[in-house]
Amino acid sequence: MDEAPGLSDQYRTASPWPVFIALGIPISELGLLFGLFPLAVGGLLLFGGSVVGILKESGYVTSTIRAVTALAAIFLAFGAGLAFTDIALVTRGYAVIAAAILLVVGGVVFELFVREQRQTF
Amino acid sequence: MEVNGQLALTVLMGVFLIAVAAWLARVEDWRSYTPLAGGGTVGGTAEQYVSEEKPSGVIRWLTTVDHKDIGMLYGAYALVAFAVGGLMVVLMRIELADPSMTLISNTFYNSLLTSHGITMLFLFGTPIIAAFSNYFIPLLIGADDMAFPRINAIAFWLLPPAALLIWAGFFPIPDVIPAQTAWTMYTPLSAGVGSGNQMNAGVDLMLLGLHLSGVSATMGAINFIATIFTERNEKVSWANLDIFSWTILTQSGLILFAFPLLGSAIVMLLLDRNFGTMFFSVDGGAILWQHLFWFFGHPEVYILVLPPMGIVSLVLPRFAGRRLFGFKFVVYSTLAIGVLSFGVWAHHMFATGIDPRLRASFMAVSLAIAIPSAVKTFNWITTMWNGKIRLTTPMLFCIGFVSNFIIGGVTGVFLASIPVDLVLHDTYYVVGHFHYIVMGAIAFAGFAGLYYWFPIYTGRMYQVTLGKWHFWLSMVGTNLTFFAMILLGYGGMPRRYATYLPQFATLHQVATVGALILLVGQIIFVWNFVQSWLEGREVQDGDPWDLADDDLVTAEWTWFERKLETAVTDGGEEETELATDGGQTVDDADAESADDA
Ligand code: HEM
Ligand SMILES: [Cu+2]
Repeated sequence: MDEAPGLSDQYRTASPWPVFIALGIPISELGLLFGLFPLAVGGLLLFGGSVVGILKESGYVTSTIRAVTALAAIFLAFGAGLAFTDIALVTRGYAVIAAAILLVVGGVVFELFVREQRQTF
Repeated sequence: MEVNGQLALTVLMGVFLIAVAAWLARVEDWRSYTPLAGGGTVGGTAEQYVSEEKPSGVIRWLTTVDHKDIGMLYGAYALVAFAVGGLMVVLMRIELADPSMTLISNTFYNSLLTSHGITMLFLFGTPIIAAFSNYFIPLLIGADDMAFPRINAIAFWLLPPAALLIWAGFFPIPDVIPAQTAWTMYTPLSAGVGSGNQMNAGVDLMLLGLHLSGVSATMGAINFIATIFTERNEKVSWANLDIFSWTILTQSGLILFAFPLLGSAIVMLLLDRNFGTMFFSVDGGAILWQHLFWFFGHPEVYILVLPPMGIVSLVLPRFAGRRLFGFKFVVYSTLAIGVLSFGVWAHHMFATGIDPRLRASFMAVSLAIAIPSAVKTFNWITTMWNGKIRLTTPMLFCIGFVSNFIIGGVTGVFLASIPVDLVLHDTYYVVGHFHYIVMGAIAFAGFAGLYYWFPIYTGRMYQVTLGKWHFWLSMVGTNLTFFAMILLGYGGMPRRYATYLPQFATLHQVATVGALILLVGQIIFVWNFVQSWLEGREVQDGDPWDLADDDLVTAEWTWFERKLETAVTDGGEEETELATDGGQTVDDADAESADDA
């Protein structure tokens, strides 16, 4: 019956990522709305990291680093828009930019160290 | 102080992220011992195999992407929200037992009123429907799971934070008070303008929570549309798609057009409140909010009522011993309601002074939308006509649904008429009208579903006598409470007040007594539900309702039967043979039963 294997064709029945995506969204929203820098950065990191994680897990992307960079680019554009245009929400903009940078750093660290270790297991 | 706060927050956030990373690192090692993904599992037989793929305990529930588990999570969530919203309103009704302010303050009453409405619509109504659709749509259409199982899980997990944000005002957080905007959040009050206290962060938190629940609903809707279009078993065609799937498909379409609009309007409101934009404070801003809100708001009421209609259309014929009368017309009227529901929103705004010509056109469409609703009612009644009626608890709730829906619908038609509405607008009549539908019909259909499928999701049977008590107390309570409200409205009692003139006391007291009867009924329900789940008689038979006698078995019961059989044949052990097979088709019984759904 699986001739048309649907839109995502893997049916593993457990994934650790959804909870964290769902947590990342409200945390970053709260941070951005009320201008709470750490919450904004942390929430975006949680959200971004989990999105990359879930995309990787479900096979929609193959390279972690490229997915991270793409997402960071979106964040960067958004952050720059907030900080450097007439919108002038400077702190919030910097928070998003900081999250973008940290996301890339995290991605690189993961690629260089963590994944290596896993494979030698 | 300021810097200290930021520092503490940073440290907290950092520790949290590290904890998350550490946990993920452990959990991700599952890969090494889970069976390879790839071909995956197939048909109903997958169940046994599937449960091996899940970790155990709490982690299973936190990480599951299995549609049945997620359905259960939605159900548990919805019932908790129902209890919270219900207890809120019990407090309000007790306050209303006498005309003056006695038990709670007027502002607290307003807070409860706001939260009760939002909780019941967004945290109970939408999720309880999602509970049924997640669990049963894939079974009914012979799919392995939802089209996007992970998105499904994300959609659910957005809801607990949404609830916390919506209720945040009630928690002991310094300087945060609950929103008192009512569920319609009309500006300028909700924009925090004026000398009131609605500039408070509690309102922002509530708006964020509402926004989040909308994102969740939208994700769910996309998932259901994709699932019903692409994941159907080849034996399930559009012609024999069951009625519940039809209503969920239509509902998902409505969600797709309505909720993003609410989300945008909420974002605009948040911008107005926090960043100095003036969407709703310039000339015409207040009416703009009403248009945006009701363009969402009216479809929302059909988002909430269509799937319960689907449940009733599915369950009621099983206990009338015959097929649903005029199946096609029920489907057509579902689609008609779906389309028309976007053309009636201004009937909520008849009293605002909008252009009378516009008003008349909205009146016409509002009267027209009653026709497909009446078609359905006609079909339910004719299904029962001369049928072999069995008054089981789910059937009682279905009949209660039809009865209450008629009163709710007819009062709606009266409101749709401009001259009548100008008299009754903003009175208890309106409250009576929509509660006949949201409580008397939607909640009743929810109970019908919960009882009807109880054997499937618990493996046990509920206690029949308690079920009947639950029904009768709910039926009497609902009609007492909300009919009193309709009369109050005729008398001119305005809605949304914590106090009232002494002349309304008697009817208010009747409504309060009705609410307390409802409370007793729901306590019995909780007891029955929990106790039967834990200790009820185990169901041995895959067809506990004897649907086969009338040739009315549907796919989910066939699935259940097979599940029981596999459990019996090898002593409850997992069926390992099936695990290796990637290409079994669902057997014929499945396909046959699908077309009589
Ligand atoms: C038979 C078709 C229906 C018609 C013609 C109808 C008509 C109306 C009208 C004209 C109003 C506005 C009353 C006023 O504020 O002055 C109204 C209010 C309302 N209706 Fe209905 N209705 C129908 C069905 C429903 C259904 C199926 C639901 C729920 C699932 C529903 C839920 C509501 C709610 C929640 C309100 C109050 C909104 C508020 O002001 O808070 N109605 N209805
Ligand atoms: Cu309406």
